[in-house]
Amino acid sequence: MAKVHEITVWARGVLMDKEGRDVINIFAQAAQAEGKHAQAFDNYEDLPDRVLVTVRKYVRLSDEEITHKYVYTNDKPEVVVVTEATIVKGIDVLRGMEPGGTLIINTNRPLDSMLKLLPNANLLKTIATVDADGITGVRTVDFSGSEGGVDATGIGKGIAAPIVGAMAKVTGLVKKESLAKIVSDVSGMERGYNEVTIKHLTPAVGELVGAGKHK
Amino acid sequence: MAKALPGYGTIVVPKDREVPFGAVTPAPVGTQKLFQTSNWRVVRPVRDEEKCTRCLQCYLACPDACWVYKEEDDRLEWVGDFCKGCQVCIQQCPEDGALVAAPELDFEGGVVRLDKPF
Amino acid sequence: MAKETMMTGCRAAAEGAKAAEVEVICSYPIRPYTAIMMELAKMVANGELDAEFIHGEGEHAQVSVVLGASAAGARAFTGSSGVGVTYAMEVYSPMAGGRYPVQMSIADRTLDPPGDFGSEHTDAMSTRDQGWLLGWASSPQEVYDNTLMSYRIGEDHRVMLPQMVCQDGYFISHIPDKVTLGEASQVKEFLPPYNPIHPLSTTNPVSHGPQIRPDQGAPMDAMRAQTFLAVPKVIEEATADFARIFGRKYDPFVEQYKLADAEIAFFIQGAHANTAKAAVDKLRSQGVKAGLARPRWIRPWPTHQLAEALGHVKAVGVVETSTSYGGAMRGGNLIHELRASLYDLDDRPLVTSFMGGLGGETIWPADFEYMAGVLSTMVKEKRTDRYVYWLGM
Repeated sequence: MAKVHEITVWARGVLMDKEGRDVINIFAQAAQAEGKHAQAFDNYEDLPDRVLVTVRKYVRLSDEEITHKYVYTNDKPEVVVVTEATIVKGIDVLRGMEPGGTLIINTNRPLDSMLKLLPNANLLKTIATVDADGITGVRTVDFSGSEGGVDATGIGKGIAAPIVGAMAKVTGLVKKESLAKIVSDVSGMERGYNEVTIKHLTPAVGELVGAGKHK
Repeated sequence: MAKALPGYGTIVVPKDREVPFGAVTPAPVGTQKLFQTSNWRVVRPVRDEEKCTRCLQCYLACPDACWVYKEEDDRLEWVGDFCKGCQVCIQQCPEDGALVAAPELDFEGGVVRLDKPF
Repeated sequence: MAKETMMTGCRAAAEGAKAAEVEVICSYPIRPYTAIMMELAKMVANGELDAEFIHGEGEHAQVSVVLGASAAGARAFTGSSGVGVTYAMEVYSPMAGGRYPVQMSIADRTLDPPGDFGSEHTDAMSTRDQGWLLGWASSPQEVYDNTLMSYRIGEDHRVMLPQMVCQDGYFISHIPDKVTLGEASQVKEFLPPYNPIHPLSTTNPVSHGPQIRPDQGAPMDAMRAQTFLAVPKVIEEATADFARIFGRKYDPFVEQYKLADAEIAFFIQGAHANTAKAAVDKLRSQGVKAGLARPRWIRPWPTHQLAEALGHVKAVGVVETSTSYGGAMRGGNLIHELRASLYDLDDRPLVTSFMGGLGGETIWPADFEYMAGVLSTMVKEKRTDRYVYWLGM
């Protein structure tokens, strides 16, 4: 079976739920447009109707049909996207990641200050930051797409656009031209693609130091 | 009827997944360790000791009882383990600048770091 | 020695609740169980029973009220019939999972549409997955006895489960029969006061039913299932104690009538089991080796006891006074679990079912003779022709 790329997106309930959902929906739809197989869904147990609670959304990409559709959490995320930087401080976002993974954070703070918040940064090969709030300044709030509903207001109007641009640049899993056909804010997406700061690290392969935990 | 009939087997629930009898739990009479919501917040309240008049509006308003007031010592403390950054205390504070919101990332520590969400 | 009087099943249920000294009663009228509450209201008004009598605003409210009362530590009692039972459906699982040993006295009634008053067991049967103890009486005496036994079993700390004590509407609930009530001393010896484990309390505060973590969902179910493994022993102890104290002996799980050497047997619960017994007598006098098995408990289902009681029989006729539309046998409820109970036997009986007594109809002696004929043919031909026969149709 072809490799399934697991991407976990962290957001916050109510106020950022739509932006998190936009990120996964844009990425998945772009991948499908390129002929890949994709799945995009919210984590049900995270109860995003609580304001500011940390919530997860998942997107999976593969060159073949994804057979483990309903094995439902991303146990071993390859890429973790954090749409609000404070999340990194309060929860182990890298949980389950195998060494060599990628972390992308929406923040205007220096990249090294983010690294300091991660006790298990040794799992990462790549870390990137993009100032999505600075680029668009818009965080859309809408519930039409929540709880399994269908989004009615259009996707990629807010910070999701620069974030997916940054994701495309960092991971290379999806082409930015595909994203441009889907997001509402194409220039925001382009800026995210161009302005992301990337740093490559050398992870301790095959050895875990510190608090990194595998599930 | 020579063949023995099947039995019902045994059910063994792992200790770390056990549910209390009838899902009855001791009512919290203080602080409980389970649902610590400090990682929900994006900002935290910062109190200016000089400007604060001890009106105790923040102490009364907090839905998570994060403000602790010791009358004997006239000490007003913020305990952040459950603070969700709702900013009701900041809204309620009548003194200009006595209570402001500061980004949580400006501070080191103060958040109970969880392994996984609840 | 206690006196024997003629009373209906409704009055007997009320007498049972009175003897059990229930503390909170919640009522709502629906025929035919309604007389139970009428009798209890009289008792409370006359000062014969010291209980809080609350009139609920509907059956859902009834069951919710007694849940709260039981959570606070009171022995609580309620009841219903027909669509009233299904109206309260939401509360049954919280009641059983929260381990509140409330008793619900049910006088069966056909489910709507439309408003047929006649007895059918589907009302209480349709709650059988919710985790309650569930069983049918076949006489007013047994209603009284089951009321006491169910409280004793349900409130046992090894069980702590709510109980539904069911009787056929009209046949048992409204037709008087001989009932001997227990003496106060007998009841006191048999039924200890309700001793809740974690009642709501101001001195020892607890929370009932908070949210659990997602990974605790399955263990919660497993622990509820575990409880049912412990129930049969408690039933045996209580039934034996009842016989010792009150002098009335019941088989704890399955009443067996002329079953030991039977070749054909009826599997039937409730009022019409009495007619079936008379039919068995007549068949025996005609040389037919007929017998009868009457389950006293539907939850917990007496799997092994039925396999043992019916294993030697050649053909079993399940008489169903309930419906399970679209079910495996396209008939009632009992046949599925009975067939499952007999499945693992080396030489299993042939099993078919007869839909009778639906809509509150009488099952006539002639019907049982017809059923015996079908069963005898099955034995002769060594095959089951049909899963289900609809009597008269």
